[in-house]
Amino acid sequence: MKKTSLVYKIYKHRVAYLMLSPVIVGFFVFTLYPQVWVLSLSFFRYDGFRPPTWHGLQNFVRLFQRDPLWWRSVWNTFYFSFGKLAIELPLALILAVVLNRNLFGRNFFRGLFFLPHVTSTAIMALVFYFIYSPYQGILNGILGSLGIIEEPIDWLGTGGIAMISTMLVSVWQNFGINMVLFLAGLQAIPDDLFESAEIDGANSAQRFWYITIPALGRMLQVIVMLAIIGSLKSFDLFRVLTGGGPGTDTMVLMLYIFNYFFDRGALGSGATVPQFGYASALGVVASVIIGIVTGAYLWWSRRLGDNQR
Amino acid sequence: MRKIRYFSPPIILTYVGLLFLTVVTGFPVVYSVFGSFKPNREFVLGGARILPMEWRLANYVEAWELANFAQYTWNSLYVAIPTVIFSLFFVSMAGYVFSRFQFPGRKFMLVTLLATMFLATGTVTLYPIFRVARFLGIHQSLWGIIVVYIFSTNAAFIYLIMGYLSGISMEMDQAATIDGCSKFGIYWRIILPLAKPILATLGLLAFRAAWNDYMLPLVFTMARPAMRTLTVGVIALRDTRDGAAAWNLMLAGTTISLIPIIVIYLITNKYFIRGITAGSVKE
Repeated sequence: MKKTSLVYKIYKHRVAYLMLSPVIVGFFVFTLYPQVWVLSLSFFRYDGFRPPTWHGLQNFVRLFQRDPLWWRSVWNTFYFSFGKLAIELPLALILAVVLNRNLFGRNFFRGLFFLPHVTSTAIMALVFYFIYSPYQGILNGILGSLGIIEEPIDWLGTGGIAMISTMLVSVWQNFGINMVLFLAGLQAIPDDLFESAEIDGANSAQRFWYITIPALGRMLQVIVMLAIIGSLKSFDLFRVLTGGGPGTDTMVLMLYIFNYFFDRGALGSGATVPQFGYASALGVVASVIIGIVTGAYLWWSRRLGDNQR
Repeated sequence: MRKIRYFSPPIILTYVGLLFLTVVTGFPVVYSVFGSFKPNREFVLGGARILPMEWRLANYVEAWELANFAQYTWNSLYVAIPTVIFSLFFVSMAGYVFSRFQFPGRKFMLVTLLATMFLATGTVTLYPIFRVARFLGIHQSLWGIIVVYIFSTNAAFIYLIMGYLSGISMEMDQAATIDGCSKFGIYWRIILPLAKPILATLGLLAFRAAWNDYMLPLVFTMARPAMRTLTVGVIALRDTRDGAAAWNLMLAGTTISLIPIIVIYLITNKYFIRGITAGSVKE
C-alpha cells in the first residue's frame, strides 16, 4: 500500500477515528437526524400513528395565512427578547465596568451576581410564581406593607404586566453571566489605553463610549449574539411561570412548538389529533427566523467584529 | 490601578446600587430556604414576612416521604453523575484527537461540530430525539435521558479542551510514542491527568446542566412519574394539585434542588467562572 494514499492515511489514524466515534455517532443520531426529520416532516401530515401523507407546502400556507397565534408568538418572542436585553445587557456592562475597578468587596459582588445563573431556570420560575402570586405572594405583601400599592397586583395574570414580570425574572437570572463575560473582556483591555485618554482630557462617559466599547470589539459582539439567541429560544421560564398566559400574552415560539408536539391540551384549540407535520413546519420556520435575526445582527454589528482581540 | 476615594458621592451611589442588587439577587433564594420551613397556613395569610413564625421541619419529612422527593433526588443524581463521567470521557477524547492529529476529514468535522453551536434546536428537535430513544428502546428508563445528554454534541466543551491542550507541549506525547505507547495510552496516561483542571471546570458545567434541566426529563417522564427528576417533580406537584395546597412542600423540594448546586458553586466559584470565560478570553 502506498504511504500517501487516502486509505493508508485513514488506516494509520484508525485509533483516532475510533476515539472520535462517540462524538461522531452522537452528532449523526442526536443532532443531524432530528434536524433532517423535522425538515422533511414539515411537508407531510402526520399524527404519529398512521404513516405520514404528503402535504406539499400546505403546512407552510396554513402557518403564514391561518395561524394568527403563531405570529402573536413571534411578536411576543421578539418583544420579550429585546425588552429584557435592553435592561440586562446595559446593566451587565455597567456592573462589569464598576466591578473591574479596585472596589472594596468586588469579589463578593461578582460571585453573588453570578449565583442566579447556576440555579435551574425552571425551579426559579416556580419560586417567582410564588413570589408574584396576587394574594399570597410576598411581592404584593411587601409593596402593600410599604404603602406603595393598595390593591394587590396580579403580576402574571394581567395583560401587559405578565410579560414584563417574566422579563424581570430573566434579567434576574442572566445579568450576572453577562457581567462575568464582559469582565473577562475588560480585563483584556490594556490600562494605558484609558490613561492616555484621560491625559487627553476624555471624561468617563467618553472613555466608555470611545474606548471601552470599541476595545471590547468582537467579544461584545459574541456576548450579545449569544444573549439574543438564548432569549429567542426561551422555554422553561414561560412553561413554568405563565404557561403562555394570560390568554396568549406570553406565548413564545418554543412554547408554542412544544405544545403542538407534546401538550395539545394547552393549545386551547380543541386539537385532539397530533399534528406533528404542522409542528415540524413551525420548527423549521422558527429556526429560519432565529437564523435571520442572528445574521442580521452580525451584519449590523460587523464593525465591532472587525476589532479582533 | 488608581486609588479610590470612598467618601465621594459617585462611590456612595455606586454602593447603594450594588447593595440594592445584592438584595434583589439574593432574595428569591433566601425566600425559598426560609419558606421551606413555614407551615402552609403562613402562606395562605400572605404578607411581607420572610422568616417563618413557626419552624416546621416536618415539611422536609413530608416532601421526602409523601411527595416522593427521595425518589426524585435519587433520579437526579442517577442521571447527573453518569452524564458528567461519560460526557467528560467523550469530549476529552475528541478534544485530544482534534488537537494532536492531522487526519483526513479533520477540518470538515471540526467546522461541522462548531456550526451546531448556532443551530436553533430548543423544543424543535425534542420529538424526533424522543423517537430515536424509543427506537433504541431506552425511552422508558433514566438511561434514555443519560444517553441523549452524553451523545448530544457539546461542541463548546470540545473547543475548550482543544484550547487547553494547545497550551501543553507535545514533547511528552512524543516521548511516550517512542516508548511504544499507543494513541489511546497517551490519552489515558498522559493527557487525562494533565487536563484535570479543565475537566474539573467542564464537569461542573455538565453537572449543573444535567441537575437543573427541565425540558428533556419532562418529555421523557410524561408517561412515567416515578422517573421524574427533582426539577420535573417539584414543578409537577404544582401542576397536579391545587397550587395553594402544598407551597411548603414545593419550597422544600426547591431547596433540596438548590442547595447542592449552590454549595458546589460556593466551593468551586473560581472554576465555575473560569470555565464560563475560558472560551471567550483568547489572547
